[in-house]
Amino acid sequence: MSDPINLIANWLQGLLLGLGLSVGLTKIILSFVGAVVVATIGMLTVIFLIWLERKIAGRIQDRLGPNRAGPYGLLQPFADVIKILTKEYTTPDGADVVVYNIAPIMAVASVLLIWAVIPFASTVVGTNLNVGVLYIMAVGAFGLLSILMAGLSSNNKFALLGAFRSVAQLISYEIPMVVSLLMPVIFARSMGLVDIVEAQMPWFIILSPLAALIFIIASMAEVNRAPFDLMEAESEIVAGFHIEYSGMKFGMFYVGEFLHVFTVGALVATLFLGGWRGPWAEQYPILGLIYFYIKTFVGYFIVAWVRLTVPRIRIDQMLDFNWKFLTPLSLVLLIITAVLDRVLVLVNSERWVYSLVMFLANILIIWATVEVLKKTTSKPKRKEFPMRPVAMAPETSTSTEPSS
Amino acid sequence: MFGSINTSMILAILPEIMLFILAGFVFVFDLVWDDSQRRNLGWISAGGFSLIIMISLMLGTPGSDSGLVWGGMLRHDWLGFAFKMLFLFGATITALFAMDVEDLGKKGEFYLLLIFSTLGMTLMASSSNLIMLYLSIEATSLPLYILAGFFKDDDKSTEAGFKYFLFGAMASAIMLYGFSLLYGFSGTTDLDAIAGVIKAGGMNPVLLVGTLLMILVGFGFKISAVPFHFWAPDVYEGAPTVVAGFLSTASKAAGFTVLIRVLLTSYAPASDTWMMVLAIISTLTMTLGNTLALAQKNIKRLLAYSSIAHAGYILIGVVAISELGITGSIFYIIVYLITNLAAFGIVSVVGRITGSDEISAYDGLSRRSPWLGLAMLVVFLSLAGMPPFGGFIVKVLVLASAVKAKLFWLAFVGILNSIIGLYYYLIVLKHVYLYRSENEQVEIPVTRPYAIGLIVLTIGIILLGVVISPWFNVSTIAAKVLF
Amino acid sequence: MTTELILFFSLALIAIITGLGLLISKNAIYAALYLVLNFFTIAIFYLLLGGAFIAMAQVSVYAGAIMVLFLFVIMILGAEKLGKSNTVAWQRPVAIILSIILLIEAGYVLFWRTAPVQAAQTLPDGFGGPASIGNVLLNNYLLPFEITSVLLLVAMIGAIVLTHKQKTDKEV
Repeated sequence: MSDPINLIANWLQGLLLGLGLSVGLTKIILSFVGAVVVATIGMLTVIFLIWLERKIAGRIQDRLGPNRAGPYGLLQPFADVIKILTKEYTTPDGADVVVYNIAPIMAVASVLLIWAVIPFASTVVGTNLNVGVLYIMAVGAFGLLSILMAGLSSNNKFALLGAFRSVAQLISYEIPMVVSLLMPVIFARSMGLVDIVEAQMPWFIILSPLAALIFIIASMAEVNRAPFDLMEAESEIVAGFHIEYSGMKFGMFYVGEFLHVFTVGALVATLFLGGWRGPWAEQYPILGLIYFYIKTFVGYFIVAWVRLTVPRIRIDQMLDFNWKFLTPLSLVLLIITAVLDRVLVLVNSERWVYSLVMFLANILIIWATVEVLKKTTSKPKRKEFPMRPVAMAPETSTSTEPSS
Repeated sequence: MFGSINTSMILAILPEIMLFILAGFVFVFDLVWDDSQRRNLGWISAGGFSLIIMISLMLGTPGSDSGLVWGGMLRHDWLGFAFKMLFLFGATITALFAMDVEDLGKKGEFYLLLIFSTLGMTLMASSSNLIMLYLSIEATSLPLYILAGFFKDDDKSTEAGFKYFLFGAMASAIMLYGFSLLYGFSGTTDLDAIAGVIKAGGMNPVLLVGTLLMILVGFGFKISAVPFHFWAPDVYEGAPTVVAGFLSTASKAAGFTVLIRVLLTSYAPASDTWMMVLAIISTLTMTLGNTLALAQKNIKRLLAYSSIAHAGYILIGVVAISELGITGSIFYIIVYLITNLAAFGIVSVVGRITGSDEISAYDGLSRRSPWLGLAMLVVFLSLAGMPPFGGFIVKVLVLASAVKAKLFWLAFVGILNSIIGLYYYLIVLKHVYLYRSENEQVEIPVTRPYAIGLIVLTIGIILLGVVISPWFNVSTIAAKVLF
Repeated sequence: MTTELILFFSLALIAIITGLGLLISKNAIYAALYLVLNFFTIAIFYLLLGGAFIAMAQVSVYAGAIMVLFLFVIMILGAEKLGKSNTVAWQRPVAIILSIILLIEAGYVLFWRTAPVQAAQTLPDGFGGPASIGNVLLNNYLLPFEITSVLLLVAMIGAIVLTHKQKTDKEV
């Protein structure tokens, strides 16, 4: 019973083969079933996530959050789903109907595609692609395309503005994200996510905390979460690219966003927090699945936490932050990590020496960055107002002035 | 750690490495200097180029084995090396000429792009692999597109840059298609290995000619041979004069290097098929260039058509497919580079003062500035192929090679064209020496960088025509590589 | 084998249809989206051939970066609808003749090839993987690889030079 998922898969395979189907066809059917199960679990998780996030938001903002429908308000998202499903679909005049309707589907699909390569446990993985990291980047492009398509086809200037912003933001933040993804690749000597998880002894967040940090920040920008939610900034462009969408079409974007955040959590867990690794995870893969989910929720919580505490930044700040800070920093980190790795492998250092040196190098870079920032950033000058008494006698009466 | 990289590999790309370092210097100085000092970037670039020539001549001369280096990407031989030095010389002079051009001489980007373009050319000269060849051609062209359109506020310059870019991109796309077909049919990107496949009859003759024609589109564009010459007059006219000079000399020489190398290594076994094609192109190029030059009123356009015509003469040597022919072509390229650089240098000097590139602006130049007039006389007589200047001896060489290869008609066309050429070159000289103009009293000042460059070039033209043997020997050594 | 054949032909059909769609469609956005699909299909071809790295690079570079910028430019220019194209009169017949020649050439190569088709060899382990590509790229093809970086640098400098507005005294 240690590996129920493969148990079920094997049983299903036996059943299908027993029906007289060929081996190839069985394989195809099983792959289909696996994909459907993963996608469904992902979608179902979102319903829970919406509740969770609203609860967290409530706590952070000193309110209760949903608490009416069901115990602890657990049924609230279901009520929302029913409501959203019954809404009317509107299509604006002059919209490009085909593109307009494909966009929300692509928004969800682009996120679900990432799940194909994530190893959930030591024995449960969609496909062990040897270029998994690159695959994540490639698939992420479709999310960007979907936003562009939505913005373009809506025939609405706010939607178009949102799409403009999305291009500027997503393409920019892809660069530090890709570079920070290279750190686990260097450590694991492989681009496959399965290999990366198996090589995490210790976790890569210890080897390169800076890379993890950059990845989380860049990912937050990639999923359009505050403080990077410029493309749907309510106070400026109403709702951005999905302004014209209603009903479940809007719901798809909504689901896509939440799922994407959850996926980011899964990626953080896989790349930096050791994936399914944990005590006895290899003997009992089901434990690995649980570890993986816990770690994913940690990643998810971080993103939600930041979203709820940091206000939205301006567009120029967003670009400055990326091009003048994150990108150079990630490049410096990449160069130093690569050179150190080469040297440490040459001298045949032990694993713990390797980890320690990498960790110290990261700490050093962080320290140097903070020092440089302290020196170079010009703080907005705090205006010094002279202390004044709250009430003062009228100046006309000169006699009250003390003579010196 | 660096086990696979040895000294000979480093020496093979010594000029390239040094060019890269030079680019770094220009980058840094451009950053730290203010506007009043930036003109000195020209001195740094020119000095750097000539230093690179000297160091390369001392350390980087290829040995007798002329082996492949860098995983078969480059061939370190005399053909490549001689041309590398030539490009570097051209870049030196161009940097000198650019220093006093308004809006150009104080721009670090100009020198940077010049260096990168030269870097691409040096790699073009020695590349022996299709991938390397294509990338180095692009690395040469891309900076030149930008340089041609460098004056953003000048419509003509913008047009020149855009025209050059569009035409170049198209030609390069067709050439790349030819390269990819060549790779697809021969199964290798190595120039020598392709020759082996062709020799073994591994390629269908139809496809062979097809790929050859496609590749010739790209090369023909670089050397501005008919029918890929349309861009040349407009680009030369619109681009900054120094850039036009660089385009018509170093860039064209680079085009000839790869043309000679690819045709005589990869396509050598199929020389019968391309000889006729090239002979026709050569005839058309000469004739069209010279006849259209007759009608020009603008000196830069005239020089553009004259440079098209010269490409035709150089092709005669290639068509002969003999050691003498290639020697003649290489020698011709050397002479042509030096002469045409001087021509564009003079145009730049005069254009700075008169603000016009019309031939009528040259009226009475000999009285306004006798030394400039003399330089112009030397340059144009050399272009026309008069003894005792360099232009004479090389024309004799290529025509002799054509006669030796029993291509009498080609030699005849060449001679006929030289006569036409003489006519319009002399017309320009007539403006310089015989015509008078109102502002004869206004002198044309020649600043120091111009003076240095023009003196070096003029002496070079005379030396090339009088002391022949060293140049001839170098050309022969370079040509021997291919046979 | 048959599954692969079915896969190949269906993908080939999609590739051709999207390619045609790109050419024929009057709407620039549709053309761009057809091109994305086309790139994606070709990426799947690479995957079938065992070149996962190339496939992913194809998707992330072309579909991800280049096409997004295409769409961005279309958006900024507002050039979705192509106006009446002012083609040269002889353009269409010449194009048709040239494409027929290309087709004949392709057919000629396909049916009258000189060398016999060699049986597919089994690929070495890790062929087309990131490690082997990296090895080839940084050993045999080191120089072209470096030159590409120079090219990109030049392109960047060029973009800045040609678009950067110089502050002249008049404007200040």
